[in-house]
Amino acid sequence: MDIIVCIKRVPETAEADLVIDGSKKAIDTDGLVFSINEWDNYAVEAAIQLKEAEGGTITVISVGPEENNEVLRRALAMGADEALRLTDPAFEGSDAYAMAKILAAAIKDIPHDLILTGVQADDDGFGAVGVALAQMLELPYAALVTDIKKEGDTLTVHRELEGGLEEVDTLKLPALLTIQTGINEPRYVSIMGIRRVAKKEIGAKGVADLGLSEEEVGLKGSLSQIEELFFPPVGEGAEIIEGTMDEKAEALVKILKERGGIG
Amino acid sequence: MEKIAVLVEHRQNEVRDITFEMLGKAHQLLEGGGEVIALFLGDVSQKGLLDQITPHAHRTVAYLDSNLKDFEPLRYQAAFTNIFENVDCQLILMGQTAFGMDFAPAIAAKWKIPFTTDVVDIEASEELHAIRQMYSGKVNAKVSLKPGEKMLCTVRAGAFPAEDIPTVSGELQEITGAIEGDFSARTFVEYLEAAVGDVDITQADIIVSVGRGIKDADNIPIAQELADALGGVVACSRPVADKKWLPKERQVGTSGKTVKPKVYIALGISGAFQHQAGMKGANTIIAVNKDPKAPIFSIAHYGIVDDLFKVVPALTEKVKELRG
Amino acid sequence: MDFELNMEQREIVKAAREFAEGEFDPQVAMELEKSHQFPFDIRKKACQLGFIGIHFPEEYGGQGYGIFENALIVEEFCRRDSGIGSAVVLSDFSSEIIMRFGSEEQKKAYLPKVASGEYISGGGYTEPDHGSDITLMNTTAVKDGDSYVINGSKTFITNGGIAKFLIVLCQTDENASPTYRGQSTFIVPTDVEGFEAVEIEDKMGLKMTSTCEIYLNNVRVPADNLIGKEGRGFYQVLEFFDESRVEIAAQALGIAQGALDRTIAYIKERTQFGRKIAAFQVNQHKAADMATRVELARLIVYKAAWNYDKGRIDPVLTSMAKMTAGRTAVEVCDEAIQMHGGYGYILENEVERFYRDAKITEIYEGTREIQKNTIASTIVGRFK
Repeated sequence: MDIIVCIKRVPETAEADLVIDGSKKAIDTDGLVFSINEWDNYAVEAAIQLKEAEGGTITVISVGPEENNEVLRRALAMGADEALRLTDPAFEGSDAYAMAKILAAAIKDIPHDLILTGVQADDDGFGAVGVALAQMLELPYAALVTDIKKEGDTLTVHRELEGGLEEVDTLKLPALLTIQTGINEPRYVSIMGIRRVAKKEIGAKGVADLGLSEEEVGLKGSLSQIEELFFPPVGEGAEIIEGTMDEKAEALVKILKERGGIG
Repeated sequence: MEKIAVLVEHRQNEVRDITFEMLGKAHQLLEGGGEVIALFLGDVSQKGLLDQITPHAHRTVAYLDSNLKDFEPLRYQAAFTNIFENVDCQLILMGQTAFGMDFAPAIAAKWKIPFTTDVVDIEASEELHAIRQMYSGKVNAKVSLKPGEKMLCTVRAGAFPAEDIPTVSGELQEITGAIEGDFSARTFVEYLEAAVGDVDITQADIIVSVGRGIKDADNIPIAQELADALGGVVACSRPVADKKWLPKERQVGTSGKTVKPKVYIALGISGAFQHQAGMKGANTIIAVNKDPKAPIFSIAHYGIVDDLFKVVPALTEKVKELRG
Repeated sequence: MDFELNMEQREIVKAAREFAEGEFDPQVAMELEKSHQFPFDIRKKACQLGFIGIHFPEEYGGQGYGIFENALIVEEFCRRDSGIGSAVVLSDFSSEIIMRFGSEEQKKAYLPKVASGEYISGGGYTEPDHGSDITLMNTTAVKDGDSYVINGSKTFITNGGIAKFLIVLCQTDENASPTYRGQSTFIVPTDVEGFEAVEIEDKMGLKMTSTCEIYLNNVRVPADNLIGKEGRGFYQVLEFFDESRVEIAAQALGIAQGALDRTIAYIKERTQFGRKIAAFQVNQHKAADMATRVELARLIVYKAAWNYDKGRIDPVLTSMAKMTAGRTAVEVCDEAIQMHGGYGYILENEVERFYRDAKITEIYEGTREIQKNTIASTIVGRFK
C-alpha cells in the first residue's frame, strides 16, 4: 500500500510568550522552536504501522521553506521512504483552501492508495486542509480518525465524535484520512534512522512544476485571509492564592470545606 | 446580510446544542430583519426533531430521505446539490464539530465557497469578518472572506449561547425524493459507545483532574491519593488519555466526558477550550499550574501558580489531618 | 572555519532531546536518586535507538559517527537530567579501548553487545594508592599457560557493580623501566571467580551510577583477553583519556546548560518584593554571565571533539576542554542554587542534584590539577 502523508512544521507555542509582529498578521517567530505538528506526527506513525503490516511505500510532503526539510527528514528517519517539499514565494498567504490545491496538484502525480493528514495544525488550527484535499482529489475520506483496520481494498475506521462516542465507517481505497492524536504512540527518531536517510535528497517543486498559476495559490488563490491578529481579552480570572506552601494548602482546604469538596 | 442558513446537527435522534447556538447567532447577525433558514437533512423517521427547529427559524428546509438517516458525507453532499438549487442564502453556518469538520471543508472546496473554520465570533456590519483563534487560543485572528455569492463558517461549540433563541413563526418546506448516486465509497456502520470503566466521572461530586503537567503515568498516584483523601475520583485532559496514562473514559472535554461536579481541581491542565467545554459547568474550579498565563486560570474560581508536585502532597497531607 | 552543526548533527541533537524529554522524568529521577538505582530501562531504550555506541563502527553494532556526535548526545542527555544522563552515557565506558586497540575477535565479541544494551562496560585504572598517577600499578597480571592470573584491587570504578566486563590496567612486567612500559590492559568479565565488587554507597553525587571498589583475587582470564600487546597498556589508557575527557567535558557542559535552563525558568516564575525576580538586574546579569560561560565551555568542548575526530590527538586541548567545562558546570550550578535561594538547597529541587553531579566532572578522568599538569608540561615544558 502506497501512502502519502502531508506534514507541517509549526512553532512550539504552548509555553512561549507570543508577540504579534509589525504586520499585525503573524506572530514573531524569532526564538521559537519549530517542530512537526503534533497531529502530523501521529499520522506519520500511523502510516509506518500500516506499511509495516502491509508493505508499500510512504511519501511525506510538506509545504514551506527549506527549513521544512527538518520535519521531512524527521519523518524519513522514522520510516518514510520519500519526501517532497513544495515551495514557492507565490504560496505565501495560502489559506486552507489554497493549501489543499497546492497539495492536490503535487499528489496527482504520485501513485497512492491512502493519504493521511493530521486533523489540524497546532498553529492556525483550521482543521480543513485534509477534507478539502480529499474533495479536490475526489477521494472518499474520513476526519478525526482514531483507529484504522485494512482488509483488502476496504478500510474500517473509527471516527472520534463528541462525548466519548465513536463512529465506525468503511471506506474504499484509495482514500484520505485525517488523523487524531492518541491513535498510536509515535516512535522516537533513532540514530539508525538518521543515518539511513542522511544521503537522501529531498526534491522541491514550485508553482510552475505543479502546473498551477500564481493566481491559484497564495493570497490570490485563497478564499479567506487574515486581516489582523490580536490577543484575546483577558477574562476575570481566578482568585490567586498566595503565601507559603503551608498557607496555600490551608487556604485550599478551607475552600474545599466551604464548597463541598471534601466528600 | 439578509439570509443565513444553519445546518442542523443531530445524532442518535437528538438535536445537538450547536444547532441552537448557531440559530441564536444567525438571529443576532440579522438583528431582527432578514431570514434565518434551518437546513435539516435526515430520514422521514426523524421528522419529529423538526418541532424543536421550526420555532427558531423563519424557514426550515427539511430534506427527508432514507439515505440521510446517519451522517455520511457523500450522501449529504448529494443532498446539498439540491439545497443549493432551492435555497438562497449569503452565509451558511455549520458546527466545528466531528460532523462539521468532516463535511464543511468538502462543501466549500466543491462549490468554491469562501469559508473559514472554528470561528468564535462573527461580525457582519458592512463586510463579514470572522474571529477565530490560533496557537491554541493564545492569539485571536480577524479573518475576512473573499466576497462570494455564498460564504461558509464553521462555528466552535459553546462559542454562543444555546438558550433564549428568538422564537419566530417558521414555515416548513419539505423536500423528499431519493437522492441519487453511488455512495458505497464511504459507509456508516455503527456508533460505539464509550467504554464503561470502573469509575464514572460524570457522577462524581469531586474530581481531581490531571493534565500534561503530571508528566508521567508513574505520577498519577499523587493525584489519586488526593482524590482518595477528598472522596473524589481522578479524571484527566486529552494529552493524558492520548498517552494512555489514564483510560479514555476518564477524559474530560469535547471528545471526552462533560462533568458538573461540586468541585473540580485541575492539576497541570493548561485549559484548552476543548477541555473547558467539558468542565466549565463545575460549581467550583480550582486550578494548579506553574504557568500564570495558562488559560485555565481564566475560568477557574481559585488558582495556585506553583508546581503541582509541591502543592498536591501538601494539600493531601492537610486533608488527611482534617479527616483524622 | 565553520561553527555550525551539519544537518545530521542537528538531527542527532533533536532526536536526543526528544528522547530525553520523553523518557527522563523528574519524578523517576528523584526515585532513582533516593534509591541509588541505575536507570536500566531508560538505558535499554537509548541503546535500541542507537544513542549508545553511536561512535562505534557500524560493523561492531555502532552507528559509525565520531566522538563529536557522541558528545552532542551526552550534552543533551545530561542537560535534561544530570543523574540519568550521566549514568546512561557512561554505560559504555572504556569500551573505546577495545574499539581502538582490541583484536577483531574482541571487537566482535563485546562492542555489539554494549551498543545493543546487553552489556554495560567499565574501566579499572585507579588503585587505592594510584589515583592520578598511573605509571605504576599494584595490580599484577602474571601469565600462566594460556591465561593470565590477576591480583590486586581498584577503586572508584564506574559501573563496577553492574558491568559485564571491565578493562583493567595491570602491571605485567614489574621490572620494566620506566615502570609504565610494563603495563597491559585486559578484558576482565565480572562473573569470574575471584572478582569482587563492593559498592561505595555514600558519595556526594552520581547516585544512579554504580561506583565500586574492585578486588581481584587470583582472577584467571584467557590470554586472548589481553588487549593489544603486553607493555602497551599505559599508552592505550593515556590515549583513551584523550577521548574520555571529551566525553566528561560534554557531560559537564550538559549539566551546566541544564542548571542554566532551570534557573532562567525559575527567575521568570518566582515573585519577591512584588516583582518577578527576573526583573532584578542583578539576576539578569547573573544569568548573562552563566550563559556566556556555558557558551565558552561549549566552544572548547566542541573544538576538542571535532579535533579528535580529525584524527589529531591533542592532550592539551582535551585537558583544557575538560577543565573548562568541569569548572563551568560547578560554578554555574553553584550560582543556580544561589539564585534559587532556599529552594535550591533542598533535594526536591533539581539544581541541588545537578550541583552534586557536576562536581565529579572536575575529579574523575583526571582532576583539574592533572589537566593543568598536562597543559603546562606541553606549553611550558617539563622541569625537575
